[in-house]
Amino acid sequence: MGIPFYPIVFQILLVLTFALHIMFVNFTLGTSFLSVYGYLKGGENWRRLSKSLVRATTLNISMAMLLGVAPLLFVQVIYDPFWYTSNTLSAAWVIGFILIMMLGYSLTYVFYLKRDSRGSGFALFGIIAFALFLLSGIIMHALGYQSLLPEKWLNWYLKGDAINPSGMALHAFQLPRFLHFIIPSFAMTGIFLMLYAWYFKDRADFEKDYIEWVGRLGAKMAFLFTAIQAIVGFWWLFSLPLEFNFFTNPFFLIGAGLGVGLLLLLYLAQKEPVKYAVPSILGAFLTILGMSLAREVLRIKYVDRFNYSIFDYQVNVDWGSTLLFLATFVMGLIIIFYLLSVAYRSGKVEGQFEASPSMHKLGRISIALLLIWIVIVAGLGVIISIKNYLA
Amino acid sequence: MYPVWEVPYLSAGIVLGLIATFHILPSHLSTSAMWFNVYVESKAYRENRPELLEFIKNYSLLLLVFAYVFGSLSGIGIWYAATVANPRGISALIHTYVWGWATEWVFFIVEVTGIFIYYYTLGKVDRKTHLKIGWIFAIGSWTTMVIIVGILAFMVSPGKLPATGNFFDGFFNQTYWSQLLLRTTLMFAVAAVYAIAVATRLKNVEVRGFIKKAAAKWGIGGLILGTLLAFWYLKTLPEEAHGLINTFVPGRLKSGMIITVGLMILYFIYTYLKPLTIRFVPAILAIAILFAGIWSAERVREIIRKPYIIPQYMYSNQIIGHDISAKGVVAEVKRLNEVGILKVAPFVPRNLREIDEGNRLYAGRVAALIQCSACHVFEERGLRPMPLMVKKVGLKEVEGAESFLDGIGEYPHMPPFFGTPEEKKALATYLVSLADGSKLK
Repeated sequence: MGIPFYPIVFQILLVLTFALHIMFVNFTLGTSFLSVYGYLKGGENWRRLSKSLVRATTLNISMAMLLGVAPLLFVQVIYDPFWYTSNTLSAAWVIGFILIMMLGYSLTYVFYLKRDSRGSGFALFGIIAFALFLLSGIIMHALGYQSLLPEKWLNWYLKGDAINPSGMALHAFQLPRFLHFIIPSFAMTGIFLMLYAWYFKDRADFEKDYIEWVGRLGAKMAFLFTAIQAIVGFWWLFSLPLEFNFFTNPFFLIGAGLGVGLLLLLYLAQKEPVKYAVPSILGAFLTILGMSLAREVLRIKYVDRFNYSIFDYQVNVDWGSTLLFLATFVMGLIIIFYLLSVAYRSGKVEGQFEASPSMHKLGRISIALLLIWIVIVAGLGVIISIKNYLA
Repeated sequence: MYPVWEVPYLSAGIVLGLIATFHILPSHLSTSAMWFNVYVESKAYRENRPELLEFIKNYSLLLLVFAYVFGSLSGIGIWYAATVANPRGISALIHTYVWGWATEWVFFIVEVTGIFIYYYTLGKVDRKTHLKIGWIFAIGSWTTMVIIVGILAFMVSPGKLPATGNFFDGFFNQTYWSQLLLRTTLMFAVAAVYAIAVATRLKNVEVRGFIKKAAAKWGIGGLILGTLLAFWYLKTLPEEAHGLINTFVPGRLKSGMIITVGLMILYFIYTYLKPLTIRFVPAILAIAILFAGIWSAERVREIIRKPYIIPQYMYSNQIIGHDISAKGVVAEVKRLNEVGILKVAPFVPRNLREIDEGNRLYAGRVAALIQCSACHVFEERGLRPMPLMVKKVGLKEVEGAESFLDGIGEYPHMPPFFGTPEEKKALATYLVSLADGSKLK
């Protein structure tokens, strides 16, 4: 069928949305782990933080899934032969992933909604949820890594001279690559805690001591695990095929440079975590984006071994649908901005939040945009239907 | 061609069907629930009945947890299941409708942020703002239906896309509007059946009665309109689909739909008349009955596009049957018949590239896996089991089976055989072995 727009655009969207996705995957794993840790450790601060974190986990999973849809879509557009083969070879795990996530997510809600006045055994819900999320990570890692190894596909599918169509096995796992996606969970959750302290610092029902404790804990975690991440990064780098010469690759150097920069920033943040919260998350996202880009360049190298290039894809430019997406995307940003503004501002006050007239106006604009969208799309549909079936 | 995933007794397609059908429960809830919610919430504010907010809280928690845990994940699950059950089919759809899905994704973000904020800010932001969030969610989530119906309808009736290659020519095809309106009206019945279940758990008896009565009205309205629209939808279906409905769709699926509509209308009428007598368990049972009806309808929708996964383009077994010159797509039929399917398909044991006496039976098994396993299992029981089919047709000799394969494309729901005469003989040998029980796994 070819692709409906230039491949570079899908590639950029893939890199960008993957960065957003993996950031929330990291938040999910980290907050899920820390909420269990806090629950078991006990004490007023830890219990309180644990409750906030498990609530955050439910939101983080939703965001991770939501933001995962986009890279899942775009990878199928430009790397379809690799992605589909890897998936069909481990098909049972692909289906298992969905069930595992459903179970993990449900247990997280149980751990959140039913936790009051429970003993430490109740933490089991949280522990199993975390383990399931980790297992999901292993599955996704294997699917991604398998897709880069076409030379092994046929042997994975065959058992001697017979075929093995059960899809029951995961075939490839690379520890440093896997860890490089997982370790940042704890660094990012550190930054998450710094943001938490920053956001709630002015609310009277959040005591100063508690806020300071959370901020300092976050900054410490963020620094320590970013340092560990750097070590894991080099481990992964040295395990890559030598022919890639990846350590001299400019994209790798940019990613690594951003990582070092982040580490310095987090070092400075130790003294005043709250003040550094926002720069830290910005720095961290920039680093993740750099890493996501480096990962894409690495994929280009892997698939280039088989003379595959996304730029060879047949392009059948479809301006209509491309514009539909772009216009909807811009509209979506406005509406999401409104929704997040309500959330942000209402969370800052203790009692009921009264929106300002300009906020109300933005709300009305959001609703109007949605209605206009429907009118335009329906109008287009009517015109096309008349043209094709009645004229 | 990709590796084939074989699922004993079920088939990979049924795994996809199960996930897709399950997805309807939360997804139609997510598109409809907020309409009911904003209706109740507006009433609560307008008539100063704050007690109604108890329902809002519970119903939106159901929406948050059920629709946005199980709904989101099963939605992604459909993609994953399609990926492993029919990779070339989903690939064709994605390469045609990537921007459609990307557009829907924007609305997903609006929905997910919307529902979290709606639930957690109830009573914590001023009423006007909260209602606005509700409206944004309600309209935004319905637009996801506006988009996905275009892609679903395309799979039954690809419209003018095969001729023009244009996105919207395939999207706004002849079954688009009827299906969109059908689903839109039915979703109110889905919202109602859940709302009644939630209402059974409310503490305030008066609110319980009010919600059930209101929901019952929504349910009856949705079902009656939906039934009328279903007739319109049937009228818009392509001729081939009508043929399959009359000859091939099992009677139990048709009666499943009709009985469900009848039972659900009675249920809503009864709920309207005696709202307080409906308890939690019958309310859940009603959801299950509705689900059974939806399952039947979705199965019918799957069946009426046979022998294709995308009519006028790709067969159920992922073989491209027709050119789409506007997109530069060339049919594979000629090549497969000349070169051989076991030579063209990459995931075939090397020793099967050339068929001889020693490997004929196994070559037949692999050819069957590639060409038949999308709709048949090779066990004695399960989804359209091959051994039973072969016995039913009475294939006992290899020559007879070969002639059968020559004419198999004449059945309106079956693709033709693809491959060389030697491969046909291999497949025939395997089919006969299934009948006499000397099946090889």
